[in-house]
Order: sequence, then structure tokens, then C-alpha cells
Amino acid sequence: MKEQLPPPDFDANRYERPNQNWICGHASQGHPCRVGPDNKGRCRATFECQPLLELKEGQTIGRYRCTRSAQHGGPCDLGPLPDGTCRRPVPKCNPVRSLRARRGIVTMCVIVLTVAVLLIALSKPFRGRFISPGPLSAQHGTATFAAMAAAHPDRGGNACTACHQTETEGPNGWVRSAMGARPGPLQIRVLASAATPVMTSLDQKCLVCHSGHSFHQPNVAEAHSCSICHQEHHGPGPMSAPVDANCLSCHANSEAMETSLVRAKSLPAGAFDYRPEKGRVLFKAPRPERGYTKIIHSFASDHPEFQILAEKMKDADALKFNHQLHLTTVLLTSGKKMTCAECHKPDAAGVYHLKITYEQNCKNCHKLQFDVNNPDLPLPHGDAAHVRDFLRSLSAQYADFGANQKKIIARRELETFVQEQLKQVSQQSGDGEALERRVFFGDARNAPVARIGDRNAIGPAQFPGCAYCHMVSDSGKEIPQIAKPVIPDRWLIRGRFDHSKHFKVACITCHDAEHSRETSDVLLPSKSTCVKCHSPSGGVANNCSTCHGYHSPTREDRVLADKR
Amino acid sequence: MNSFVKQRWLGFSLFVVLSGTAIWLQARWFGTVLRLSYLTGWVLFAVILCLTLYNPRKKLPFLPLLSSEAWLQFHIYAGLLTGVLFAAHMSYRIPSGLFQTILACLYVLVMLSGFFGLFVSRALPKRLTARGGEVLFERIPAIRHALQDRAEALALKSIAEVKSATIADFYSRELRGFFEGQRNLGLHLLEVSSPVNRLLNRIKDLNRYLNQEEQVMLEQFAVLVRQKDGLDYHYALQLVLKTWLFVHIPLTYSLLLFTMVHIVLVFAFSGGAQ
Repeated sequence: MKEQLPPPDFDANRYERPNQNWICGHASQGHPCRVGPDNKGRCRATFECQPLLELKEGQTIGRYRCTRSAQHGGPCDLGPLPDGTCRRPVPKCNPVRSLRARRGIVTMCVIVLTVAVLLIALSKPFRGRFISPGPLSAQHGTATFAAMAAAHPDRGGNACTACHQTETEGPNGWVRSAMGARPGPLQIRVLASAATPVMTSLDQKCLVCHSGHSFHQPNVAEAHSCSICHQEHHGPGPMSAPVDANCLSCHANSEAMETSLVRAKSLPAGAFDYRPEKGRVLFKAPRPERGYTKIIHSFASDHPEFQILAEKMKDADALKFNHQLHLTTVLLTSGKKMTCAECHKPDAAGVYHLKITYEQNCKNCHKLQFDVNNPDLPLPHGDAAHVRDFLRSLSAQYADFGANQKKIIARRELETFVQEQLKQVSQQSGDGEALERRVFFGDARNAPVARIGDRNAIGPAQFPGCAYCHMVSDSGKEIPQIAKPVIPDRWLIRGRFDHSKHFKVACITCHDAEHSRETSDVLLPSKSTCVKCHSPSGGVANNCSTCHGYHSPTREDRVLADKR
Repeated sequence: MNSFVKQRWLGFSLFVVLSGTAIWLQARWFGTVLRLSYLTGWVLFAVILCLTLYNPRKKLPFLPLLSSEAWLQFHIYAGLLTGVLFAAHMSYRIPSGLFQTILACLYVLVMLSGFFGLFVSRALPKRLTARGGEVLFERIPAIRHALQDRAEALALKSIAEVKSATIADFYSRELRGFFEGQRNLGLHLLEVSSPVNRLLNRIKDLNRYLNQEEQVMLEQFAVLVRQKDGLDYHYALQLVLKTWLFVHIPLTYSLLLFTMVHIVLVFAFSGGAQ
């Protein structure tokens, strides 16, 4: 194959100078001049040699000798002219740029073009669109926001200057602003530190519209920078949730937490009770002595156990309810065992559950059938006075029952029916006073009906007495006092929880209801239960904002609290 | 294991370790370090600056700063590392703003041109070796000119010696253009040799009409055609080996300019701006 290339017919040892900017124009013909062009691309060709004057000893007039090198053919035959001029002038050429020089020119052109593009694009007409790192979020990307920004006297007339004062200053101002930023470009250690980002002038611009916005708990050490949490220009959708680092800048910072603790001590306890109930029943655990200042790095690692469980708080509800009994032994009319969903039904949004009511959740099984022979004549529910009145008008109730339910039309027959029922009730429970006591104070132990719920039987349970489910006290008044049950809608009020997002998880996975026999049992899952999924290993969202909100109370909450 | 293989393994190992570390740290710190993108940005910028030092290093061969071969290995693997750092800096998202999109495109172009350069610097020398012969790129025009002169002389000689213009006419008609300059640049890159084969076939076709003396001369033309084709082949491949830098280096400077503006903009418009 080598014969495919021509043999070099020139001196192979001749030195090529590809690093020079200019090459002799005759090089491409294979006979470049000896000296080559100068560094400005001018041909320097003159003569093939510079003749040398040779003087013999004692002579004043000598002869010029050709000095052409052997590499270029050696001394010529004719030699120099008598005046010392070489007879062989080198033809002039048009030097050409080397490849390297051309690359340099291309590079310079691209640099100049880049600078030109930057200067044009950064000039005022194009600036905003050019440097914007992306569309604003849905909250700020609206025409309304742009109009508000343009109309506001402090906002410089366009949507950019509404937040970025430096936008109007041009490139020089930007450099000054960049060098004056805190942290600045060269403050690498500060950039890497987890110090709390404080409010800056950019953040103050947020407050022009978001005035009166409250920031976190009343004892917050320092208001956190808005723009560090709420990062803009990430697309037209909703703003992305703040990252944990924002929370950890204080909650993982012992100094900030101590400051919060000290500040909290100077505030009245009521300052922290700002969460409006909004029609919900909230379980308000007393504020711990040190507040919520424990150092936290992540939910999975060192987030404290939920306060209610850590402090072994009890459910103070007055209703007596045995979850275990209902879930393990009670059978429904269909013959199936009860499930949680029989009573705990989600609301329309699925976030909360509908409130537990006797009518909706208990009545089917727990009919207040005080008379076993007339199970379709139940006591009224909800008001002790009504119950008492019902019992004291029992003959009228039986008459009404006989006429409407039993369809007894004849008066005599109806009177007979009433008398028979009163008699048999009297036999069951004694006289009227005894019947009242049995109805109000009867429970599983002292009721005449021993079979409560009739385990393994199908059908409504028999009625032992109000005290079976309720706390009934003889207050010395005519009517016994029945404590009203209070079932919290939320136990953990400092975090959000959406049941609908957990529909794939069985209730008993989190709520150990099958082993709960006492009302006082708080059936919250422990932190470790949540961590099984809400952790890096569990693979489900486990950042702070999954459960918590920084702006707590929100402005809306604050307004509601003030109204209170 | 020779030093090149050692360097390659060392570079690749370092690249894998550093890339893995960067990805792991980004995943670990994402959401926990507030200004993570600032840090990844600075690291990326520092590595890019180190990469650009390769060009000045080549211009200062007298400095005792490791061998050029070691620098090249560093340039390759550090360049690959910037890809990982770039993705981490962008949080694995596609930029949406015009400036950032241009900046990202510049980076991608520089990266791709680097990959292209790496590919051609690995693949083309093998092809040149397989084709045979060695010739300095700077000498190719002179050799081409010499070949043209020889072909012209041979055509003239044929008229004088064989008293016939057949070969000279054939040269004027078919071969002069071929010898005048670089031919079939793109086809040589694609290893397509049909043009020269076509020329050689025409020479072969003419051969049957010539006497013995003319056939000897025509055979010399065939040799010259093959030599010229080999020269063109070397020129085409060496040209690619040298000109990919026409894209890589200018775009690198453009990238650096955009990066510096990016740094200014980030700090001037960020939350820390006063």
C-alpha cells in the first residue's frame, strides 16, 4: 500500500513550522523560500544568498563570494555581482495563513460574535426575555400580576422589576450587585453552610403584595427568606414545594432553636393557640416545656415521636367504645365481621372522615330497645330529658306504638295492649323509677339483659342502658347527666394528613384498633409506622413539607384567630 | 502494563469514582443543602477552567507540567466528569429560559465536538495506518503539486516519445482535473473509492488501444493516480483530525463567556442580591 503515496522528492529533514501564523506562498509548489514571511504576513524574500566579501591579507579590495548553503544547492556558478549583489533574486510570494492561524481567526470571530450577541441580547429591549431563567409560576405568571406590577409605584413598571430591582441597572449594575450579594460569588463556605437565609431586598418585594403575612410560629428566631423557599422561574405550573434544607436551616441549628426557646418564654401561652378549628374537633395537646425546639435532621432519623404517643396521652372521650370487640367478634346482619369502614367513612374530599353519629353509625346494631318484647319501640337518643319524658309517658308511647306499628284499631283492644305491655315491662325492670334507673344507669354488669351485642349472633344488640356506652352521672338533679362524646377529627394538628392518599393501606396497618379495648387508647400510628413508607428506604415522600407548612398560621388562619 | 494503559485505567477509575461521588452527594444533599446548585456550579466551572488549561499547556511545552499525554487523558476524563456535574447542576432538568438554554446548548456542543474529536483521534489514525504511507499534512500541497508536475511532464513526454497524442488527450480529458487539487474529500471520509476505481478502469479501457510503449507510459499514469488518491485520502482524514478543533475551541471560549455572564446573573438576581 505504501507505494500509493509518492516518495518524498525533497529533503525529508526540512523543518515544518505549522505553529507559525504565515507560510510562504511557494510552499504549496514545494519550494518555499528560506526565510519565509514575517509575523505580519509580509514576504521577506530577497536573494538566495548574502555574498561575503573576502579580503586577502594586505589587500583592500577583495571579491564577493556566494554563500548559498549546500541545502539550497551550494554556491552558484556565476557568483555575486562585483558590487556584492546576489545574482539570484528570490521571486516574491503571497504568504498564506497556516491552519493554526486560521483556527485562531475563527476563534476570535466566534468570541467577537458571542460578545456581540451578549451585548445585543442584554440591551434593554431584549434583556428581560433573554435572561429570564424560565416562565414564572402559575401564581405570578398571570396577566393580573403583570398589571399589578406595572401599576405599582414601587415596582418600576414591569413584571421583572417587580421583584428584581437590579434589572434596570444594566450589566454594570449587575456586576456590582453580584459582587455585593450576600453570600457573594466567592463566599464558598457561606454558600455551603446551612445558615438560615434571612430576608433580603428581593424578599422585601414579596411583602409589597403579601403584606401582613405571618411567618411561622410566634417565637421564630428569624424570618426565613421568601425566595429561598419559593423558587420562581421553574415553569408555569404551581411553585414546587420548599426543600427540607429550608426547615433544617433552623430546626437543625441548635443556636436558632435556643433563640426560639428563649423567645417563646417571653410570649403568653395563648400566642401559640392560633389554629382555627374551622368546624373540626382538634386535639390540642399542651405545649411541651421546651416547645418544639428539638434538633431535627430528617423525619426518618431524629424527628421526635408524636407528642401524644411520646407523652402517653389518653383519649378523654366520654364514650365507652371497645374497638377490639367490634372488629373481632361482632357480626353484621350479613353475617360478616365488622370493618373500620362500617363506621369511619371518608368525607367528600377524602381528607377527613365523616363525624361518627349514633344515627349513622350505631343505631343499626344498638337500637335502644329497652323492652325486649317490643324491640320496635326504641328509646329516643341524644337528650336525657327526652328519654326521661319518654319513660314517664310510657302508656302513651305504647298506645301510639300499638296503633301505628301493631295496627290495633279497637280502643278496648289498644287499652288491653298497653296494660299488658306496662305489666310486662314492670316485670322486667320494676316500677317506673327502677325502669328509669335501669335505662340510664344500666350497663353490661347490672343490666337485666346479659347478652350485649349477642356475640356470634346476628341482629341488633339488646339495650342494657345508657351507661353501657356513655358516662352517666347522677348529678342529684332530676335528669341524670350524660357526658357528650367528643371525637377529635385531628389528633396531630401541626401536620397535614390526607386519608385519601393512603387508601391503598389497610386501616389496621396504621391504627392498631384490633387490640384496643379502652376508649382512652389513642390509636395513632407511631412515627416508626409512618417511617416504614415515608423515608428514603420506604420510597415515599418524606420531606418536611409533606406534612408541615411553614406559614403556620396562614394569613387566613390569623384573621380567623383575630376574630376569635 | 504500559504507561498509556496505566493512565487510561487511572483516568477511567477516577472518573467512575468522582462521578459516583458527585451523583451520590447530589442525591444526598438535594433538599438538605440550600444552595447546592451554587456549589455544583462552581465545581463545574472549576473543572471546565482546568480543561481549558490544556490548550495553553500545549503552547508551553517547555514547562515541566506532566506530559501532554497525561494532560490529554485528564482532559478526556475530566471532560466526561463535567457531563455528570452538568446534569447534577441542572438537577437533571432541561433548562427553560432562553439564556440558560443557549448556555446548555453551548455546553452540549462543546461536549459533542469533544466526543467527535476523541472518536476521530482514535479511529482515523488506524485507517491511515491501514491505508499505508506517512505524510505530513503541511507537505501535502507541495507533494500534490509535484505529482501534478510529474503527470504533466509524463503527458508531454508521451507526445515526444511515442509520436501520438492519445495519452496526452486522455490526460487532458480525464486526469488533469484530478491532479489539479484535492478531490473526493467526503468520499474518502466514507471510505468510498469508486471515483478512483472509475479513473483506473478508464485507463484500463484505454490500454487495449495502445501499443506496448504507450502501455508502459499509461501504467505510469495509473501509478500516479493511485499516489494522488492516497494523498487525497491522507489529506481528507488529516484535515478532519485538525479541523474538529475549529468547532471545539471557539465554542469553548463562547461557553466560558456565557458561563461568566451566567454567574453574574445568578448572583445579581438571586435571593442574596442586595
